[in-house]
Amino acid sequence: MRRFFARNAPAYVFLLPWLIGFFLLALGPILASLYLSFTRYDMVSAPRWIGWGNYEYMFTRDRRFWKALQVTFTYVALAVPARLIMALGVAMLLDKGLRTIGLYRAIFYLPSLLGSSIAIAILWRQLFAADGVVNQVLAMVGIQGASWITDPDTSLFTIVVLAMWQFGSPMLIFLAGLRGIPRDLYEAAEIDGTPRWRQFTRITLPLLAPVIFFNLVLQTIDSFKTFSSAFIISNGTGAPADSLLFYTVYLFNEAFKFFRMGYASALAWFLLVIIATFTAIAFFTSKYWVHYENERD
Amino acid sequence: MKTSATDLEIAIQVDEAARVAHELRLKRDKRDRNGRILKHIFLITVSCVMLYPLFWLLASSLKPENEIFGSLTLWPSEFRFENYTKGWYALPISFTVFYVNSAIVTSLSVIGNLVSCSFAAYAFARLSFTGRSFFFALMMMTLMIPYHVVLIPQYVQFLNLGWVDTYLPLVVPRFLASDAFFIFLMVQFFRQLPRELDEAAMIDGCSPFKIYWAIILPLSLPAMGTAAIFSLIWVWEDFLAPLIYLNDIKSYTVPLALRLFLDQEGQSAYGQMFAMSVLSLVPVVIFFVLFQRLIVRGIATSGMK
Amino acid sequence: MTKLTRRTLLGTIGAAAAASALPAMPALAATRTIRHYWWGNPERDKRTFAVIDAFQKKNAGISVSGETIGWGDYWTKMATQTAGRNMADLVQMDYRFLFEYVNRGALKPLDEFAGKSLMIADFDKGPLDGGRVDGKLYALNIGSNSQVMVYNTRAFQEAGIDADLINWTWDDFAKACEKITAKSGGKMKGSDDLSLMIETFESWVRQNGREFYSPDGKVTATAGDVASWWQMWADLRKAGVVRDKNKTVILDPPIAESGVAVGDTAMSHYWSNQLVGIQSVAKDKIGAAMVPHKAGGKPGQFIKPSMFLSLSRDAKDTEAAIAYMNAWVNDPEITGILGLERGIPCSPKIRAALTPKLTEVEKLSVDYFAAIQSKVGPLPLPAPKGAGEVRDAFMRAGTDVVLGKVEIAKAAGTFIEDAQSIVERAQ
Repeated sequence: MRRFFARNAPAYVFLLPWLIGFFLLALGPILASLYLSFTRYDMVSAPRWIGWGNYEYMFTRDRRFWKALQVTFTYVALAVPARLIMALGVAMLLDKGLRTIGLYRAIFYLPSLLGSSIAIAILWRQLFAADGVVNQVLAMVGIQGASWITDPDTSLFTIVVLAMWQFGSPMLIFLAGLRGIPRDLYEAAEIDGTPRWRQFTRITLPLLAPVIFFNLVLQTIDSFKTFSSAFIISNGTGAPADSLLFYTVYLFNEAFKFFRMGYASALAWFLLVIIATFTAIAFFTSKYWVHYENERD
Repeated sequence: MKTSATDLEIAIQVDEAARVAHELRLKRDKRDRNGRILKHIFLITVSCVMLYPLFWLLASSLKPENEIFGSLTLWPSEFRFENYTKGWYALPISFTVFYVNSAIVTSLSVIGNLVSCSFAAYAFARLSFTGRSFFFALMMMTLMIPYHVVLIPQYVQFLNLGWVDTYLPLVVPRFLASDAFFIFLMVQFFRQLPRELDEAAMIDGCSPFKIYWAIILPLSLPAMGTAAIFSLIWVWEDFLAPLIYLNDIKSYTVPLALRLFLDQEGQSAYGQMFAMSVLSLVPVVIFFVLFQRLIVRGIATSGMK
Repeated sequence: MTKLTRRTLLGTIGAAAAASALPAMPALAATRTIRHYWWGNPERDKRTFAVIDAFQKKNAGISVSGETIGWGDYWTKMATQTAGRNMADLVQMDYRFLFEYVNRGALKPLDEFAGKSLMIADFDKGPLDGGRVDGKLYALNIGSNSQVMVYNTRAFQEAGIDADLINWTWDDFAKACEKITAKSGGKMKGSDDLSLMIETFESWVRQNGREFYSPDGKVTATAGDVASWWQMWADLRKAGVVRDKNKTVILDPPIAESGVAVGDTAMSHYWSNQLVGIQSVAKDKIGAAMVPHKAGGKPGQFIKPSMFLSLSRDAKDTEAAIAYMNAWVNDPEITGILGLERGIPCSPKIRAALTPKLTEVEKLSVDYFAAIQSKVGPLPLPAPKGAGEVRDAFMRAGTDVVLGKVEIAKAAGTFIEDAQSIVERAQ
């Protein structure tokens, strides 16, 4: 017992703030929302237990739920790779040698600063309108553009473009990761005459793996939970024709617009299961491609 | 850390290698000059795309109200600098107050995030203890749950604590490592550091806190810098929590105040809103420029050993 | 070492708590405090805080805490506070949400105060009764409005449109659209495409002699109503005299993006208390026309409360709250500060007092209001639970029609079915 204590005490001391926060502040609301997912709760009157009713309705009768899933999965499949490749590519360009790197880094991060403000919503609607700047540029090279944002077939892509444009956060994390790779490794490789792309696959990728892994997991989680951009651009409705009905937008409307907090909680817990599954897969496979310096031997 | 003789030999070797590498680099640099110009052209083009929206925002903040939506040209027909001066005082409380509020909330939150999350990350990444993977999984779970459904139970909880209409619900959780993103981020970076460092320090009789403070933190400056930047930006821009927990307009933060300008259904003040939005970016940009140096320096220069 | 860490940490938390609690502390605990929560904009907020100051000066014992945020965020915060049983004592209410909140028991009736501390006996009966649910007064009208076709006076003049804009019909409307489009060479279309506007569609249903919802909350509008509405707009689109379909399917655009504001069209549909807001973003002078009538049909338009003040379930000091409420609608100084910003007051005395001080746009809305009095129908009952969702469903189905993805008859049938099941599920 005493040995158990001696072995664990330092770790638990460091973990203490988190433990307090989790058990005293976070856990209660999380369990409450799990409970609410089994109730009918309009936020004014007391919640009423209805068993699996919400989940049953979700899978058997709710067409918009399936639509929301479809929109969200499409978005995740497009936005996560697009954003990560963009971020990694730019980070590598910036990592080496340029004296003006600080300036570029700041410029590339700026769009992420604008976040999902109302300004972005207005701007995006103007940029991608039928007579907007994007189409004017396309017209110069002879392409007749669509009315991107109001056409249900293309509106989702404008949100993907927005996600790509705001690649600042993963870029910064990649940069921090690249900075952690010892320069002498590259110098040694240079002396050995190793070509650049092999330096990339032999040195950069393996040593950056933990950071790539982090960005992949986080971007996936975040993309499944994407809310603000779709919400503001579609004026909170998921329009046109539900093509921007992201899962969390649907969830928010069910909860706060239509007073179905119980149902929204059920939606949330199902999303949690989806995200957790993907994250678990990522963690499981990471054994094969992510190696940490300290766990090498 | 064996004998000094071997250290010296290694040092000489390293020095020699560095010299060769330097010569090689000079050669390569010449070869790369053209490539570098191409790179700049590419980066500048991308920069223009990245900056267009910002110019648009700046232009909109100077336009007369009825030009923001009507015209596609960036150049305002006349410059309305009074959007800035009037916008600052357009609300019943001046923006000076909102900036002070935001500064209080943000600075406390950033400190809280950095301290508490690096503590937790250190435990997860460098110390072995019973229940590590279980707690780690729980921590990851808090990242995955959609925020909107815990909003109401959380509100009730803070209401019972008597914290509503104070900054406590915004600040205290951050001292309790509520943002798992930063824990996970730091864990990934801490795990990269060589295990021998801790072991050697442990043999030298260093306490876990000393290792954390004197070894792990200094070697993780890029990660800490990144975390500081994100943390500041996200807290500064955070909107939902202040919306729910602050009632008195005198306690509003900047993003909340920006929402007072717009009325979807009635009279809005877009020009002033854009002007104040531009100003609200200034502190964040300054902070970004100052702190990004941390990311540049870090351990890369020393090559770790 | 570890001990020190913990102590430092707790110390930091303690200091943070102390520091952060300070700025937001309520001022004086000794006085009676009531909270007033409204959605607003800079103009409205200024007026409302001025009202609070005026009220506090006259009622030394009562302090009013003003809480405000924009419309978009208002209801999220409201729902959260309601769930936490921490609603402000007085909340601003909207006709759309009244039924949702009353039926769930979030508001207190005002009847027991009427004639005692709340003097409303001489108020216009119609607008006042808009705050009644099941015979009880749950919401005090603090301004009335009605549907309005906002038009660009310059465009109308140039196109030589001489129709009587109070009594005109949908045929007159179509002709006006043609003239304006022709006159401008297609640069300015006649009107925004109102296919997706359920508010205007409701007038259409009433012109056909039906209500959208029956008194027991069922959907009584028919697929025929919907189809004929969409068909009319489809014809106008085909003729090229209404706004481009790609601008139409942006749902609920802010008024600054409407056709009249940016100059794409000469007409848009709005509520009369929004006239001031529209004029502030429109380049040309605007005018106010009625929603066109159906030849030989019933009146479709109605006058409704634009905003209410309601007493919440969580109000503790009701006496102070009602005193504040009463001042809002009766005190000459306070009503003078408020003006017409929230709509037309339903006290004849207050209206008379305001008349001399009106701005040009305010006068426009007052004159419009006077002109339509005899042309409007009775106020429909408050919409049942689920009406907000029906509104969204209407826009979704309408989007498919406008974009030509679904046939009108089919979309109309689907919408009515959806609406029925939405209302059923919400009960």
